[in-house]
Amino acid sequence: MIVSVKKRDGREMPFNIEKIADAIVKAFRASGELDEQIKAAQSQMNLLGNDDILNSTALKVSAEVVSLLESSGKTTPDIEEIQDAVEKALTEGGFADTVKSYILYRAERTRVREVNTRLMHTLRDITFSSAKESDLKRENANIDGDTAMGTMLKYGSESAKHFYTMMMLKPEHSRAHSEGDIHIHDLDFYALTMTCCQIDLIKLFKNGFNTGHGHLREPKDIRSYAALAAIAIQSNQNDQHGGQAVPNFDYAMADGVRITYRKAYLNNMVKALMLLTGKEEEEIRPLVKKLHEEMAEMGMVATLVPNERFAQSEAHELSKTFSLETAMHAQKFAEKQAYEETDKATFQAMEAFVHNLNSMHSRAGAQTPFSSINYGMCTDPEAQMVMRNLLLTTEEGLGGGETAIFPIQIFRVKAGVSLNPGDPNYELFKLACRVSAKRLFPNFSFMDAPYNAAYYKPGHPETEIAYMGCRTRVIGNTARPENEITFGRGNLSFTSINLPRIALKMKSIDLFYKELDRMLALVRDQLLERMEVQSRKRVKNFPFLMGQGIWIGSDKLGWNDEVREVLKDGTLSIGFIGLAETLVALTGKHHGESEASHKLGLEIVQHMREFCDRESERLQLNFSLFATPAEGLSGRFLRMDKKLFGVIPGVTDRDYYTNSFHVPVYYKISAFKKIELEAPYHALTNAGHISYIEMDGDPTQNLDAFEKIVRFMAKSGIGYGSINHPVDRDPVCGFVGVINDVCPRCGRAEGHAIDPQKIEELRKKFPGMPAFLGIR
Amino acid sequence: MSEKEKSLYGEGVGFERIRRITGYLVGTVDRFNNAKRAEVADRVKHGCSGDA
Repeated sequence: MIVSVKKRDGREMPFNIEKIADAIVKAFRASGELDEQIKAAQSQMNLLGNDDILNSTALKVSAEVVSLLESSGKTTPDIEEIQDAVEKALTEGGFADTVKSYILYRAERTRVREVNTRLMHTLRDITFSSAKESDLKRENANIDGDTAMGTMLKYGSESAKHFYTMMMLKPEHSRAHSEGDIHIHDLDFYALTMTCCQIDLIKLFKNGFNTGHGHLREPKDIRSYAALAAIAIQSNQNDQHGGQAVPNFDYAMADGVRITYRKAYLNNMVKALMLLTGKEEEEIRPLVKKLHEEMAEMGMVATLVPNERFAQSEAHELSKTFSLETAMHAQKFAEKQAYEETDKATFQAMEAFVHNLNSMHSRAGAQTPFSSINYGMCTDPEAQMVMRNLLLTTEEGLGGGETAIFPIQIFRVKAGVSLNPGDPNYELFKLACRVSAKRLFPNFSFMDAPYNAAYYKPGHPETEIAYMGCRTRVIGNTARPENEITFGRGNLSFTSINLPRIALKMKSIDLFYKELDRMLALVRDQLLERMEVQSRKRVKNFPFLMGQGIWIGSDKLGWNDEVREVLKDGTLSIGFIGLAETLVALTGKHHGESEASHKLGLEIVQHMREFCDRESERLQLNFSLFATPAEGLSGRFLRMDKKLFGVIPGVTDRDYYTNSFHVPVYYKISAFKKIELEAPYHALTNAGHISYIEMDGDPTQNLDAFEKIVRFMAKSGIGYGSINHPVDRDPVCGFVGVINDVCPRCGRAEGHAIDPQKIEELRKKFPGMPAFLGIR
Repeated sequence: MSEKEKSLYGEGVGFERIRRITGYLVGTVDRFNNAKRAEVADRVKHGCSGDA
């Protein structure tokens, strides 16, 4: 006799025949095999209800199960044995359809169980392994996976991914994602957020804003401008999973400099008049203040570069109380002092801004906000002061001389504005090159690339191209052509295609395109599906992004309104990685090696772009093509394909797939050739792109070569580029530069101890050296 | 600082190596995932001399 059952975890539980019957009832319901019988019973006015027929049949089968188990001598059967017996009993009872649905039910249960087990394994890995050992914990290098909040974030992220894959994604999308045909980026935020946004600070600052934790007044000084800029970035980061960009940093901060200068000028004018006339402040200040207020009403204000109209008018008015000589003398003093004080305040503001963005918390402290700022086009002296000081503080580095990781700085290059000698911002461009040669930032964006210039309208900063985060670009707008601007817009979501997989699977170019078309359609559907989920969100779900009117059009919505309509200004992007490996798989050579492969590469990317354009027109939405950077993805796709296809030279023989359309990093090629090859892909990837040049040696010692490369990028039609070089730092003596095995400043070898006496000696020569406290 | 502390000043402290991997920077190379570490190791320099 059966008295107990062995569960999957090994525990024994009392045997209960009704549990078996319940499962069988479910199988009968699913198959509908008893429906006829039930109908017949009802038409005969049989007093038995439907459930009774179901239950009695199920119990009969259950009894058969028991006797099957007993006859095989089992007294404590396990779950699998019982389920085998149920299948047998149903088959013998002639319930063919019900056997099928029972098998399906069993498979489904197994799947759910496995997913749960997998989740538990993942959580265990997160809990007990350090980031050093766990690749999972280093999926995103900007999150410190070893910290408490980094771990908490990972729990949430992995569990959310499991949930969405099982419960929300369409099975075909879920399968394509888990099998590595496509990659749905930021899946952990699938039901929550859009990717990123370009924040118009000028609009936000007007009348102040609310972070959700308190109201902040309109700033009145460059220091509060910069502080509020950081807070705005931080607040918006909480409503999105991607980066936060400021498309008009120079223009916005220039306003802060103007106000600061005006105040400093007033204060210094008061001081000068006090000294020159021997009168008290109580007497002078109200007089000057009133005068300035009256003049401001007539449109005359003190400006960083003194303007005649204000100066003459002020001197004239002051001469009514003091002598003209005194007035002009005071003006000279006030102008000089106010300029110096404003310059100093601006430097401090920029220094604090960079420090804030490297230390402010987002995501419960696991990360700092992912911030980018674009600048370079505004030629007002106030904006120039902002940019110069921002670059200088970046060059100096953080407190201990460390290179700032954030914000990503993007310097806009344009002929007539910044590119050429004589251009108003040329000196800033030179400075940007010098700083980038030391600190890797700024990157450079090119306004004159034809596809960027196409949107530019002089006098409209919102039409200047901006890049976000690692490369995202949002400007074109098929859905609403009147909004072809950067301000207030961003990417909704993006999904990347595993291009090398298609090439490996299809082998021929014709079939490649067929499969590529299938993938493009699949990704389009998946993006639309996700957009629908996002569209059902309401303003209240994004208290800052939508509630404070940052996203374009959201200022017209109410707290409980759906965001559906305004999301149409966002982009849906289709990305790709591994063009190089794809070309090797199809032709034997990548685009750096062969002209024919390069031509094919362009055709493939053009084909994808045309798909995006066509679908944008057809659906009146903004599909765009993205050159995926692939941080976590480059290894994920590769590992799967290596398993499927084995090690194929030039395709799967390394640990990563090549970033988007890049010429492989291991391929020897000149900087100029690389730029020429990659530039035409920039024109096609309208959702974002970047090209890198790896520069040899210490570029700070070769600024001419550095600038030459940037100029060549501008000439070649690159949209966004940067120059890579090693930036090493010895935390003990604070040296920043290229370090091979031994620090060139203190002579310490990596990991070795050094006599503290020697560090103190060096400090005499380098007074800025940080105090090294860590004795490990 | 004791003699022992002096002899251990800087012991076990590595150099920070900042690299651009996907357009943005990260703290140091040891924060990269395995694939990106391999990519950084494979990178070759692009000749920048001569005329464009």
